[in-house]
Order: sequence, then C-alpha cells, then structure tokens
Amino acid sequence: MLHTRVDKGIVPIIYLEGEVDLDCTETLRWVVSDAVRGSDQAVLDFAGVRFIDSSGAGIFVRLCLDLRAQGVHLRARNLSPAVEDVFRMLKVRELVGESAFIEPQRQN
Amino acid sequence: MVETQSIPATLQVYRYDARTDNLRVIVGDAAAPLPPTDLIERAREALQLRSFVCHTVTDYHDVLGDEVCFIPRGERCDIVSIHTNGWRRHHGDHRRSLLDILNDLAAAVARGRLHFLDDAEIATERARGVELLFLDISDSASLAAARYAVEAALQQTRLPSAERKRLVLSVSEATTNMLVHGGGSGCLSLRLLDDRLRVVVSDAGPGLNFFNWIKPRSSDQVSMGYGYKIILENLEQVYLHTNAKGTTLVLDCTFDERLGNHVAHESRQGHRANHLP
Repeated sequence: MLHTRVDKGIVPIIYLEGEVDLDCTETLRWVVSDAVRGSDQAVLDFAGVRFIDSSGAGIFVRLCLDLRAQGVHLRARNLSPAVEDVFRMLKVRELVGESAFIEPQRQN
Repeated sequence: MVETQSIPATLQVYRYDARTDNLRVIVGDAAAPLPPTDLIERAREALQLRSFVCHTVTDYHDVLGDEVCFIPRGERCDIVSIHTNGWRRHHGDHRRSLLDILNDLAAAVARGRLHFLDDAEIATERARGVELLFLDISDSASLAAARYAVEAALQQTRLPSAERKRLVLSVSEATTNMLVHGGGSGCLSLRLLDDRLRVVVSDAGPGLNFFNWIKPRSSDQVSMGYGYKIILENLEQVYLHTNAKGTTLVLDCTFDERLGNHVAHESRQGHRANHLP
C-alpha cells in the first residue's frame, strides 16, 4: 500500500510512504499530475518507500519523461536503500538522466 | 506449425543432445529460425568450442536480423531465439529492446541460472518438496498480499535478511509478470526442499509470446521488460516453462551451507501448508 502526502508550494513535494508496485501506478500518476498543475517542477520524496519493484521504477521513469515533454521537471530525492538498489539494478539514472535526482548534499 | 510472419515476436528454445544426436523443441511452436540441420550443425560447433555462440539470422521476409544463441551445457546445447519480425522500439521508448531481453535470457542460461524446461521436467520440479504456502493471485492488490505471505514464511527460517529481500523482490516481479502478461491471474506456491526454498508462480495465460510487448495493453503500461532481469540477477536458480497454455516460473533460493540444516529443520517444525484464499 502506498500513501502519499503533497506539500504544495512553488515547488510541490510529493512524499511517498510504503510500497510502490503495479497496484499504485494509477494512483501515483493521478497524485503527481494533480500536484504539478500550475508548476514547472516537482519533487518526489522516496524516503518512506520500503519496497519498490520494476513496475514502481517504471512509473517513475514514465512520469519523468512524460512530464519533461510537457515542460515539467520532476526530480527524485531521499532514495531509501530499497529504492536505491532497484534503481541501480535497472539503471534508472541512465534512463532519466542525473538531472532527475537531487543529491543529498544539495538538499536544504 | 504457426506462420511466423503473423506473429509480432516469438521466443523459441531448442535443445540439442549430442549423446542421442537429437534436436527437440522446448519452447515455442513457430518455424525455426534456421533449418534443423543448420541448428544441429551450429550446436555441434558450440559444443566443440565449449563457448556461447551468437548468430545473426536474416531471412527472405525479414531484412532485419534476429539473434540465435547457442549455449553449450555439458553434452547438451540450448538454442535460444527471439524472432522479432523486424519490430523495433520507436524513438523515446524507454522499454528494453527484445534483443536485450533475449541476451539476458541467453546469458542466464549460459551462467547456469536459467533453465528452460519441457512439460515433463516442469511437472517434476513443481512437485518437489513440501508446500508451505499456497496463494491465488487475481489482481494487483494481491501482489502485496503475496509478498507479505512469502516474507512471513521466510521469517520463520534463518535465511539472512538480504536473501529474503531478494526473494521477495523476485516474487513481486514474477507475480506482476503473471498479471500483466500471463492472462491476469494465477497462483503462487512456496515450497521447502532439502537445500532451498522454492517459489512456483503459474498462470494459464498465452505464454511468453511478447504480444503485449509489441502492443501494450494501454499507453500507461509501466512494464519496461526488466522483471526477468531482476529475477535472474537476484536468484541462483530459475526454471521457466512456457507454452500457449500458460507459464510456470520456478524461483529457487538456496541455503547457505552453514545454515541449511537449521533452516530446513526449523521450517519443517514451524510450518504447515497454509492455503489462503
């Protein structure tokens, strides 16, 4: 089960908590689409993600690329170990580019 | 015999046995990528070289070549091919190419991690050991239930946490594949063997035929073709049987030798077969 919380602001932040798999792809797409309305960037915070599989990684890649085509820059931050492992296995950084990630030292 | 030109892509696996000089079909019923005599000749070459050999095949109808991999294993040579019928990803498609998938499968066979099984072999393998858990899986909401059930069963063992996580991730990939590509439902069985835990994921779908890879069921399809890559990177032994009546995937997690006896003993003590709805 995936829980989401959105901090609206100049740059909306979508906090994810729980598990990201095939079951939550539609929900996540809807939440992100709603959050970025009127913004040209947004952040997905993965700190609370305990589990992700290739479907979960796939929805992140798809959202990044689709939103980028619409002029919206979606970035990921605070990758939990589970997310980091799967993203590394699937070479997600190569698919969406390093600019889609906020590295820890750059966070405030 | 199925007319290859009418099919977007097909996986074909043959096995040549040098002891009996016999070539047989393990997966697929489409036309062979090469005449059987050529397959045998090249299988013999691979066996002689004791080396993985990959050939590109161009036929009269298809100006784009498909790869056929010859993988020697002892006295046998497995021959793995995906006929893509010229299909290629369009620009911007982030999914993996079919040839990337083929190469993963062929490399896993070469490394001894993946075994394609025929009807008799899969029947034997899926019946081995003691069943600890059985689950029907019919929708995406049951994916998490399957993971929790497997995780709970694994916690009864002394399997290290990292191993448990790898198996649970692989179970998620296998059951997701079942829902997306395997007809939308199926079942999962967790079994205990002497030296390993085994997860058997079965469906009665159309088999691994790549139809919905070429034509995704919707524009929202998130599958990137990485499920098998994750499974094959995380598990030591995987068995695959697939035909037009369904697909069975057997995922094995072998015990560390130091823990093996303890795990097996505790699991037998701690478990009775749980049949959940």
